Amino acid sequence: MMGNKSRMVLCVDDEAVGLRVRKLLLERAGYQVLTAIDGYSGLELFAAHPVEAVVLDYSMPGMHGGEVASRMRQTKPEIPILLLSAYVGLPDEVSSLVDIYMTKGEGAPALLDKLDSLLSVPAASD
Amino acid sequence: MEGLELRKFKRTLTQVLILPIIACLFLAGVLVWQIRGSNLTVGLIDQSDRRIALATNIETRVVDEETGLRGYQTTSDPRFLRPYRDAEAPMQRAVAALQSMARPEQEQSLKQFIEEHQTWHEAFAEPLIATIAAGGQTNDVDLNLTGVERMDSMREHLHAIVKASEQRRTDRIAEWQAQMRHVLILLIVLALSIGLIIGLFTRNRLKGVSTAFRHSLDLQQRRAEELFQSEQHLRTTLASIADGVITCDPGGSVQLMNLVAQELTGWTESQARDRPLHEVFHIVNEATRQPVENPVVKVQRLNRVVGIANHTLLIRKDGSELSIDDSGAPIRNAAGEMTGIVMVFRDITMERRTRAALLANEKLAVAGRLAATIAHEIHNPLDSVANLLYLLQNGATQEESQQFLQIAQSELTRVTQISRAMLSLYRESKAPVPVNLKEMLDELLLLMEGRFHSLGVSVSANLPPEVAIDGFPAELRQVFTNLITNAAEAAGEGGSVAVRVIPRPAGLLSPFAEAQEPGAIVEIADNGPGIPPEVHEHLFQPFFTTKGERGTGLGLWVSQGIIRKHAGNIDIASKTVGPNHGTTVSVFLASKPIINAGGD
Repeated sequence: MMGNKSRMVLCVDDEAVGLRVRKLLLERAGYQVLTAIDGYSGLELFAAHPVEAVVLDYSMPGMHGGEVASRMRQTKPEIPILLLSAYVGLPDEVSSLVDIYMTKGEGAPALLDKLDSLLSVPAASD
Repeated sequence: MEGLELRKFKRTLTQVLILPIIACLFLAGVLVWQIRGSNLTVGLIDQSDRRIALATNIETRVVDEETGLRGYQTTSDPRFLRPYRDAEAPMQRAVAALQSMARPEQEQSLKQFIEEHQTWHEAFAEPLIATIAAGGQTNDVDLNLTGVERMDSMREHLHAIVKASEQRRTDRIAEWQAQMRHVLILLIVLALSIGLIIGLFTRNRLKGVSTAFRHSLDLQQRRAEELFQSEQHLRTTLASIADGVITCDPGGSVQLMNLVAQELTGWTESQARDRPLHEVFHIVNEATRQPVENPVVKVQRLNRVVGIANHTLLIRKDGSELSIDDSGAPIRNAAGEMTGIVMVFRDITMERRTRAALLANEKLAVAGRLAATIAHEIHNPLDSVANLLYLLQNGATQEESQQFLQIAQSELTRVTQISRAMLSLYRESKAPVPVNLKEMLDELLLLMEGRFHSLGVSVSANLPPEVAIDGFPAELRQVFTNLITNAAEAAGEGGSVAVRVIPRPAGLLSPFAEAQEPGAIVEIADNGPGIPPEVHEHLFQPFFTTKGERGTGLGLWVSQGIIRKHAGNIDIASKTVGPNHGTTVSVFLASKPIINAGGD
């Protein structure tokens, strides 16, 4: 994994343990990671920091991932969003809001690959 | 208009009968009177005849006398005098008789005659006889002439009498004839008029009777018509009732079956009539297949409206089966005696299937809701474990490794617990087994931990360890999941849910348990807004929900069904105001329940 240069990634998930482990994983892969435990604080961080990608959990209390994604699109639509879900099969209107949709349990390599591809695409190919 | 009254009719009849009788009597009276009248006249005529006869007789005697005299005069033989002598007595008698019956005007003549006769007798006849007897001569013309004159005069008087009588006789006859004519006319007139009167009267009366009779008939006709209409109406109503209706006589033999009853039982009305009901309406208990007391027998026994037990199967004539629901009632007459029994029943097979389908659906819905939670609960920890393994593989310090492994371990434990709980949720048992309430509730609470966390609800549990009851674990889990979920959702963000198990040994009275059975109460309390009274009464109805589109509304209904099957109760207490607002659901479960198969 080259050329990450401490990209800032925002992780939003209501599962504390999962969030912590994901943060560890991404930091080990060279990302700078911000975490939020729910949609509201996630949106705050999104607005306040130069986040370059979002790893978003779908099922959260209060505001679910789809809604968070749609709000993010309203403010900074160019920022790629990766939606993580424990469910298989989300409604189309949700999956169309995000750039990539994947399920938990696909494994760490899959997550890192997809995140990398998201961050590579807008820039000129490496 | 009133109909024919018997009293009035009798009176009319009497009148109509009496009148002619009276009329006839009257006519008879008139007739008798007339006949008497004419009899009198005839009597008078007879009298005249008698007078004439008498007068004639007298004249004959006088002539006899003269003849005798002349004979004697001629022959001087006393034998020729005999007629003269013989005539005396009869003539006296006749004269006497005539005298007694002479009319005033005749009396004069008669008197004169008598005088003349006397004179002739004394002055002429006797002297003559004496003369002749003495041998003298009687040829004197003057003497004879006076004699003849006297004789003529006597005759004249007699003739006058006769004439008078004859005249009278003629008059009387004319009178009699006139009388007869009058009588005839009178009788004819009377007969005609009386006849007319009787006729008119009778006609009038009989007309009245006929009119009254006609009204009676009309009334009968109208009543029959009304009765017919009413019967038709009832018949149509009976035929239109969508349930089966069977009526029986008090002895329990079938009298009437409507179409639906015929269809449902498989018997036609004609086949079924007069058979005992249990032949036609063969019902058994669904589970035991034992015959069930049919409603008619029950009505006969209890003499009131009855329903039958649930889960009754009707065995039709061809052997096929239907689930039915029915009721029976006595039919009473005006005196209150039972004159028959009516039974109404309907096919509830579809209804039961629908219910079963709804129940199955609810189970699926619950499963669906749980599936979402479970997917969440399993995938999240597994995801973390995968990430941790990756990290361990890609260079971790000794210390980090320890940490990572520990986290992974705990996450896997969680997964195992959840999956075990989830799997056992759907394993059905055939017979009730002992269920440790603490174990079951602990599992459920663990399963729902994620949910509680999402909702922001804190949960506390007070579960004594050795409380067990017999039941079907899968179903009980379904109930408690439902109740705890409701409580959590009601409590909401910042709220709390308390789960408690209270053992209830035998002998303790409880307000809502029907018997003093030993068992346990599971109490689930939340401090949410509570249930308003208007919602409270609908709580256990299927399809009633306060969760809008999210709830199917079947939860409490199903839960109640399951608890009832376990011969237990659900009781809900709630407060909407005050500091202790919230809802407490108490579920009583008997330790050794008599399972109410299909109890709903």
